[in-house]
Amino acid sequence: MTTASTPATPRPYPTAAPALGPESPVSWPARTVHALPSGLRVVLAESRQFPKMSAQLFFRSGNAAVAHHSPGLAGMTAAVVRTGTASRPSRRIEEDLRRMGADLGTHAGADSSVISISGLAEFSGQMLELVADLARHASFPADEFERERRQRLEELRVERTTPSFLASERLRHVLFGEHPYAIAAPTEEQVAAYRREQLEEFYRGHYVPADALLVAVGDFAADAMLAQIEKTFGDWKAAQPEPLVSPVPPHPSGRRVHLVHVPGTVQTQVLVGNLAITRRDPDWYRTALANSIYGGAFHSRLVINIREQKGYTYSPRSSVHALRQQGYFTVHAAVRNDVAAATLTEIFYEMDRMRALPVTPEELDSARNYLAGVFSLGVATQDGLLGQLSTVYLDLLPADYLETYRERIRALTAEDVLVAARRHFDSANAQIVLAGDREQIAAQAALFGPVTEYDGRGNSM
Amino acid sequence: MNSQARKLHIPVEHTTLSNGLRVVVSPDRSAPVATVGVYYQIGFRIEPRGRSGFAHLFEHMMFQGSENAGKMEHIRLINSSGGLLNGTTNYDVTNYFEAVPSNALERVLWLEADRMRALKVDDENLRNQRDVVKEEVRVNVMNQPYGGFSWLDLPPVAFRNWPNAHNFYGDFADLDAATLADVRNFFHTYYAPNNAVLLMLGDFEPAEAFALAKRYFDDIPPHPLPPSPDVSEPPQTEERRGEVEEKFGPLPAMAVGYTAPPRGTPDWRAFTILDRVLHGGRAGRVHRHLVLEKQIAVEADGSVDTFDANGPTQMVTRIFHKPEYTSDATLAAFDQVIGELQEREIAEDELDPVKVKFRADYYGMLEGGMGSYMPRFGLMHYLACFTLFDGDPERVNTVLDGFLAVTPAEAQAAARKYLVPRNRAVLLRRPVAMGGAR
Repeated sequence: MTTASTPATPRPYPTAAPALGPESPVSWPARTVHALPSGLRVVLAESRQFPKMSAQLFFRSGNAAVAHHSPGLAGMTAAVVRTGTASRPSRRIEEDLRRMGADLGTHAGADSSVISISGLAEFSGQMLELVADLARHASFPADEFERERRQRLEELRVERTTPSFLASERLRHVLFGEHPYAIAAPTEEQVAAYRREQLEEFYRGHYVPADALLVAVGDFAADAMLAQIEKTFGDWKAAQPEPLVSPVPPHPSGRRVHLVHVPGTVQTQVLVGNLAITRRDPDWYRTALANSIYGGAFHSRLVINIREQKGYTYSPRSSVHALRQQGYFTVHAAVRNDVAAATLTEIFYEMDRMRALPVTPEELDSARNYLAGVFSLGVATQDGLLGQLSTVYLDLLPADYLETYRERIRALTAEDVLVAARRHFDSANAQIVLAGDREQIAAQAALFGPVTEYDGRGNSM
Repeated sequence: MNSQARKLHIPVEHTTLSNGLRVVVSPDRSAPVATVGVYYQIGFRIEPRGRSGFAHLFEHMMFQGSENAGKMEHIRLINSSGGLLNGTTNYDVTNYFEAVPSNALERVLWLEADRMRALKVDDENLRNQRDVVKEEVRVNVMNQPYGGFSWLDLPPVAFRNWPNAHNFYGDFADLDAATLADVRNFFHTYYAPNNAVLLMLGDFEPAEAFALAKRYFDDIPPHPLPPSPDVSEPPQTEERRGEVEEKFGPLPAMAVGYTAPPRGTPDWRAFTILDRVLHGGRAGRVHRHLVLEKQIAVEADGSVDTFDANGPTQMVTRIFHKPEYTSDATLAAFDQVIGELQEREIAEDELDPVKVKFRADYYGMLEGGMGSYMPRFGLMHYLACFTLFDGDPERVNTVLDGFLAVTPAEAQAAARKYLVPRNRAVLLRRPVAMGGAR
């Protein structure tokens, strides 16, 4: 590299890319990990470049815990949690947030419910107090519940006209059968049937310290922050919920096509998927690497093929979704209607190629560098670090996961990629979902297996 | 444990190369990463007539190959260095940016210099990217509920001068009409070192970064730039209205846009503060009144491009209202919120928290601003805007003060002057299911 002491001398412009310089070591910040007597686990990391703080309080129960009786109830509970506590009405909560320069989010996914806050570090203590108030003293005002319910109904109506949503919802049904992960969203009727007492019951049973994890990253001194947390959360007690026991998903065999009819669409949402693994599976690293070579990065085989060579689509990608009990693998692309079948042909061609032939040494090297390098970018922002720490402690990964991830990725071989593709890119049994106008795509769909048609509300047609 | 408010100071160093390329550096040794951007002062506002969407199509072409790095090579070289990259087309700039481990800094500069020096693309690249862009428009606009609402719908209603009022994503006929000669001409006209700024942020010594910039960029020849076209708007004398059909979504929607005062003026600062009183989530007056209290709307919020715009722009409120309320009733409720700002000064106990939140959001933008894996994107973006539009990247450290000094009286005066019917446009998005546009 040219340095300050070396004046730039005229040299011909190089026609080849400069080699990479020597790699700098990446150091993840020290963590303060502590469990309160109540069972609340706390993970803190200092990040002091900007005077901000971000924290997330997780509870290890989400919509999967209620799918058998009230789908989506955990999501509605989270939505109403922010609308009032014993001492703060809704308006006061929102005004307090502004005074702290903070944003608040309350959400539930399949596996967790979470209260997230991010604001100016100078108000860290007050932000934690607000989070504790929401976690412990939410009052579920009846009028706020009804308003949130109506809002959720309207959102659902919009989602049911959105091809990408309809495709994912259908795939989850097909892959997970009787398992609670089958249900990505409630029906309007189910939302209309929620009762306020059910929300309170979920809250009392699942927003409990024994099942909670608080992660905070920001411009604070960890020891002072821990003392503040002990003060704010120290006297919190509640019983732990029963562990969730779920039926085994069906592992569908043979390719089938599930066509969700969306009238008038000018594009078809193509979604292909199969059951895969969780982040705790020993195959996780090699599968992540195989995915990045197949379709998980801009420079991946599928993106080069169907975007850069064929121009079928703008943003195709493959992903491994790491849910807690059972992960799944997907490939998606939104394509113009007349190339739906051609797109599926290429998706399976590239999948089968990953399963049949080892990747080249150049591809392997490039993908290992990609995953290792991008992982290190996460250390440079508070939210990146918060996300990485949450993954480690929510998924109960080894404590040195962050420090060893890059070397584990760099140790993988072409054989690892082949093994992962053969095990987890289940081409022969992949389920195909097409969301689009059936007039335009039904004949193309039939080329890939038996077709079942659904309307936007999930009824078979 | 409330610590003291800490005033942030961002280190900024800058220079101009002999060819006119401005170079801005902000070192940050906290993590071994680098964020690099090249911003060209050309956006969709001044793309050629008859070629709507061309600035964006051209942005795609910048990833199709340059003299020494063929198709997919830019992407391969960044990804295989452990980095991410992207580009975006905006009203007044087009940017190309990368986040990489810091040992790839020199490689990134070589790639950016190579494509500033000589784009190398052919007809097949153009056909391919035209197809990709059409799918981008389909997935984001034509096949999406409320697609293009309101960034594509509102400008044609609000503005009269073509640069501000045309379809920025492009009519398909215009995209089809674009030729390789257009690509070459656009590159030669606007993609000049003297029309750009190079930004380097992250883990390196500034002197090292300046030396690399000089090595790779200094001998790229400057081009004479065309005179800036007139993007000003003729005076508006009455409220403007428009309607667009919503093909998929079931809820009626409305966008109300008020044209912003000129960049850098005291009125611009007061207007921005008004935006933050009205918008910014549930504490904003619009959401509180329409969604939480009157419950006319299901969602209502808005924003203004304060720092990114260098020409006519609007503060826009987007409202999705319940079908049982008419658009007139919804607008009347919105007007009540606006009326209060004109009739009464904002109390200090509302204005002070708004300023705290403004400061917090500014810091948050500087730190991230584009997801968790593009460190300091927002800082890079603001440094670029302050360099290209204001000639002073160091403004990033002082610009906040003016906004935090806006008084209740100034805000009220700005509400009376700018939040008026003759300065606004109203766009209705009517669901087909309810009878569509009338």
